[in-house]
Amino acid sequence: MWKTGLALLRRAAQGVGVLLFVLLFLVFVVQITARFVFNQPLAWTDEAAVILYLWAILWGSALVCRDREHVAFDLLYQNAAPRVQRAMSLGSCALIGVLATWALPGSVDYIFFMRRESTPVMGLPFHWVFAPFALLLLALALRYALRIYRLLGKDWQTHL
Amino acid sequence: MSPALVTLLVVLVSAMLLRAPIAFAMLASGIAYLIVKGHDLGLAAEQVLNGLYNGYVLLAVPLFVFAANLMNAGTISERLFELSRVLVGRMRGGLAQVDILVSVIFSGMSGSAIADAAGPGLVTIKQMLKKPEYTPGFAGAVVVASATIGPIIPPSIPMVIYALVSGTSVGALFLGGILPGLLMAALLMAGVHVIATRRNMPKDDPIPAGDYPGILLRGFLPLTLPVVLLAGIYSGAFTPTEAAAVAALHALILAGGVYRAFTPKALFAVTLESLRSSAVITMIIAAAYLLNYAFATEGVPGQLALWVASLHLGQLQFLLLVNAVFLVLGCFLDVSVMLLVFVPMLIPTARLLGVDLVHFGVVVVVNMMIGLITPPFGMLLFVTNALTGIPLKDMVREGWLFTVLLVFALLLLTLFPQIVLWLPQSMGYVTH
Repeated sequence: MWKTGLALLRRAAQGVGVLLFVLLFLVFVVQITARFVFNQPLAWTDEAAVILYLWAILWGSALVCRDREHVAFDLLYQNAAPRVQRAMSLGSCALIGVLATWALPGSVDYIFFMRRESTPVMGLPFHWVFAPFALLLLALALRYALRIYRLLGKDWQTHL
Repeated sequence: MSPALVTLLVVLVSAMLLRAPIAFAMLASGIAYLIVKGHDLGLAAEQVLNGLYNGYVLLAVPLFVFAANLMNAGTISERLFELSRVLVGRMRGGLAQVDILVSVIFSGMSGSAIADAAGPGLVTIKQMLKKPEYTPGFAGAVVVASATIGPIIPPSIPMVIYALVSGTSVGALFLGGILPGLLMAALLMAGVHVIATRRNMPKDDPIPAGDYPGILLRGFLPLTLPVVLLAGIYSGAFTPTEAAAVAALHALILAGGVYRAFTPKALFAVTLESLRSSAVITMIIAAAYLLNYAFATEGVPGQLALWVASLHLGQLQFLLLVNAVFLVLGCFLDVSVMLLVFVPMLIPTARLLGVDLVHFGVVVVVNMMIGLITPPFGMLLFVTNALTGIPLKDMVREGWLFTVLLVFALLLLTLFPQIVLWLPQSMGYVTH
């Protein structure tokens, strides 16, 4: 139940990520077509592309990419015994999880502060543009908390 | 060094050694810096978000990634492989020579070394492993060495990132990479020839002359892409970012429409994969904005510039020193970290000494590509190992000659800036 729920959510997150990415690509196709085929440069496409990019990347980092897909220096880790690996993971999860949580309130404040300004062409308030950064910090905090919980549990070896 | 800067470095290094993702290690260490410094933590969000929002040229990254993934999934690599086989397969060590030529052609379409190894590289490795004369280590070594050409011949993702941090023109950098890329390819082909002759490696099986027209025709269509890209960027018709979108569109039409290589499911997978790789690259860039803010606050680049100035180095000595340091760092660090954290620190010094920033950029990028194939931390080695199972140490042992040749190419570029600058200058680039 809990497992299938998670898998469904993951699938949905992937779908949203792919949709954002496809939209980003389509905005460029529209921009190029407008300029070269209809000789009619558009003003909103650059801005829309940047916003979609920001969303796609932060959404992807928060909810789509798994840790092992990221670039990491794993020489020490790979050559360590399972118990040491567990300690290393606990350390890195705690370090990043705590710091991400620490930065969350200040970042949310900043993002809300930015609602007074809007993007120049489309007039979208900036707190919407910037919101996924808070999502990323929140996702990091929750993900590493869950991982620590699992690593401290009985079958920690399956979660290395 | 201030306590805040020390904290930053301690958190960064320990998180990295514990195998935290580098991007998050950088982000966390930046946050730790702000905490110790007593700054508002909203600065973390501000630096990252404004950096990304204003980095328009960065949009080329996901689009070039998307284009390369589409080409790899859409059988374009296979077609280029067949084409190159007709051209150089009959040389001694034919398949290895084919691999280098495919890399050159593919690098005219893709801007990523990893995509080169994972696409055309994998195609040739599979063919080489069918013949006993090619040891797995040699096959892997040729592929990783030739994949370094990918981001040197334009388009190029690292050069886009360098353009962003240095304020140089992407077009000039792209042009500057063409001759160095060809030089690297020529040296590698010579290296393969020497090894192949000594080990008496086979020529590739002859291809019946009747098959030539078909192979040439199939390989010809993808070749239209580099022409469109280069002509588009250099004539100023489109920006490098738009060129990246054109490349993706071209690959999509060719692979999806003409070759019918995609099901909707496969297309979803390719897009998801592109999102993942783009997010991984961009997160490191995003976190670098925060780190660079910290370094700038501490005045690190300025102090570095003063220190280098006190050494009274000439241009050439400076470049040689930078090369030596980066070759060593490249053994341990990822390209994006060096490009985004260390290179910005050196730009003021390079400018002070009157080093041309396009020349500097191409030299630095070539240097970092060598870092991709030097152990212990070499992304190309990791990727090829993950895809083929060829052990790292075999690739490193059989590839030392290629590494030496690439370092030799780097030395030539450093000593003779004209190899880099001649083409951009003849197209109107002026050193500032």
